[in-house]
Amino acid sequence: MKAKSRRTVLQKRNNLSSWLLSLPTILWLLCFFLIPYLIVIIYSFLTPDIYDVKFEFSLAAYRQVFTGGYLRPFFLSFKLAIYTTLGCLLLGFPVAYYIARANEKLKNTLLIFIIIPFWTNLIIRIFSWRIFLAHSGVLNATLMNMGLISQPLEILRTDLAVVLVMVYVYLPYMILPLYSVLEKLDFTLLNAAMDLGANEVKAFFSITLPLAVEGIFAGTLLVFIPALGAYLIPQLVGNQRSLYVGQVITYKIKNIPRNWPMASALSLTLLLLVALMLLIMYGLYRRHVARRQVS
Amino acid sequence: MEDIILENVSKDFGSFTAVDGVSLTIKSGELFSFLGPSGCGKTTLLRMIAGFETPTSGTIRLGNQEITDLPPYKREVNTIFQNYSLFPHMTLFDNVAFGLRIKKIPKAEIKDRVREMMTLVKMEDQAHKFPDQISGGQKQRIAIARALINKPRVLLLDEPLAALDLKLRQHMLIELMNIHDAVGITFIYVTHDQGEAMGISDRLAVMNLGKIVQEGPPDDIYERPASIFAAYFIGETNFITGQVKALYEDYLELSCDDGTGQSFEIDSSFQRPPVVGSRVTFSLRPEKIAISRNKPRAQDDINMLKGQIEDILYLGSHTQYIVRVGKLKFRVFSQHKRVYFDDKALDWEEKVWLFWHDTDTWMIEGDALEELTEAQLSEGGQLSRALKRRGS
Repeated sequence: MKAKSRRTVLQKRNNLSSWLLSLPTILWLLCFFLIPYLIVIIYSFLTPDIYDVKFEFSLAAYRQVFTGGYLRPFFLSFKLAIYTTLGCLLLGFPVAYYIARANEKLKNTLLIFIIIPFWTNLIIRIFSWRIFLAHSGVLNATLMNMGLISQPLEILRTDLAVVLVMVYVYLPYMILPLYSVLEKLDFTLLNAAMDLGANEVKAFFSITLPLAVEGIFAGTLLVFIPALGAYLIPQLVGNQRSLYVGQVITYKIKNIPRNWPMASALSLTLLLLVALMLLIMYGLYRRHVARRQVS
Repeated sequence: MEDIILENVSKDFGSFTAVDGVSLTIKSGELFSFLGPSGCGKTTLLRMIAGFETPTSGTIRLGNQEITDLPPYKREVNTIFQNYSLFPHMTLFDNVAFGLRIKKIPKAEIKDRVREMMTLVKMEDQAHKFPDQISGGQKQRIAIARALINKPRVLLLDEPLAALDLKLRQHMLIELMNIHDAVGITFIYVTHDQGEAMGISDRLAVMNLGKIVQEGPPDDIYERPASIFAAYFIGETNFITGQVKALYEDYLELSCDDGTGQSFEIDSSFQRPPVVGSRVTFSLRPEKIAISRNKPRAQDDINMLKGQIEDILYLGSHTQYIVRVGKLKFRVFSQHKRVYFDDKALDWEEKVWLFWHDTDTWMIEGDALEELTEAQLSEGGQLSRALKRRGS
């Protein structure tokens, strides 16, 4: 009994000091995260005016989210996020695997190559893709010179261009978490699987993939969630026929008459959808981990 | 019947030759060991039999089938890996069932066979656990079960006990022998631990620098090493090097490298009698030498030397004496029995007699000082090192 109460005292003291230590962070989050969010929430329940809002309660914005033709942007955004994630996963996995198996020197060099794009401004990188994909751009010029095509491909300003550039931008966010799990993978396990009769493909699906699940989860989160709210890339390389949620939200604020409540309601809906996705993925992950604790 | 036939197998890694022209036949049901220092090529050889490496030249056959270029998953061979390599994301049951599931065996049969295998390795009540929840010895058992359930023709064991502590190692060694007896298939065992190899093997091959130095039953290699390396690597020994001065019917005179001539009676049944004037090395195991304060009764077949105790190492089961004879140093092991040659224990600086039977003086052609490296000499025999230092 005595030992127990002493522990509680220690725990209390511990709690107090950890509270004090985390106070700056809490204040920061409160001022720059929670309060702005509250503003967004409040705005979503107000009535739009030409430039600003009228402080009259209204549910019109939310009603419109579901009835005003906004399902298509949501659908497009989800499709884009799924394509981007799958593209990053399919391209990123072999790259991460190769880096993880490379020798120490090559490993570091390759990792630097993965990180270098972060040093250049995103807009510059997107514009270089525009130059690359344009009607008379590098890609078309090369293909035509090689005689592979007779007319330039119209890639820029298509949905394909959006997916291409999205995959390009988000690829490192998939490669790095995958690399970190594959780097820890004991490759003799693959030898063991092959020794027990599994060919390369079976060994990959029964050993490598399950042991990389944590990296796949992490990479998927890092790619999928930002991809859902993509604005810049669709705006710069996409077309006006396919508008994504991020673009729609921007237009609601940019175009006069402005509709702040609509923009707020759309972003909160997106937020809820992301939260739902997170919960589902967390649930899946928990189930994956829990399997190991049955004993 | 033969299970594994290696014909002139070599493996190069770049300019480094890991395995150099090994030819060998391993009989069906045999427990065969490859023994040698790290880097001698024994693991590469095993990996070639398992299929993880392809020989640069030569052929490997499993029974009548040539398997030289077959991938690992097409060979009737399974491996116990050094660190067990159990799949961390699977239960022990799933680990053991892995091979059968790949072969798409019906579920009910898998269940029965896994249970049977788990019973063989005494892990039947732990099937639901994960590898990180069991001890090293238990992991070892699961690795054995996981391999044997596939009914391989040959089981390969790559330093399987290296990660276990001494007591467990001794226990698992006996367990391995029992399992070998129970399943009756060929085991190929790779180790750098000569105690393990000697204890467990029907036959073993001593390897050095990619080549097989000697192969045979453990006692044969220990008692009759064919080369200086084999004598050095298996057990401990005293090397005496010198030039044959005179050869008689049952003894020879040796001009020892220390300058003082010593005569030794040796076994007259030489395989190849030494030529007078040639350099030879004698290997004399420390436990073959008796040590006494009193001069033993002279006999025809006994070698005797008088020396002085320089060092005494009490090791529990036996004591190691370092005895200086002239400029030679001998290592002598003496067991602690209640029956001493006399009452009082031997002491430092004491004058003693060393004596041994002539058949225990094993002659090897060649020169220990030239064939072994300085480092090997310093582990293998202080005697030879002392000689080398003086010689140079």
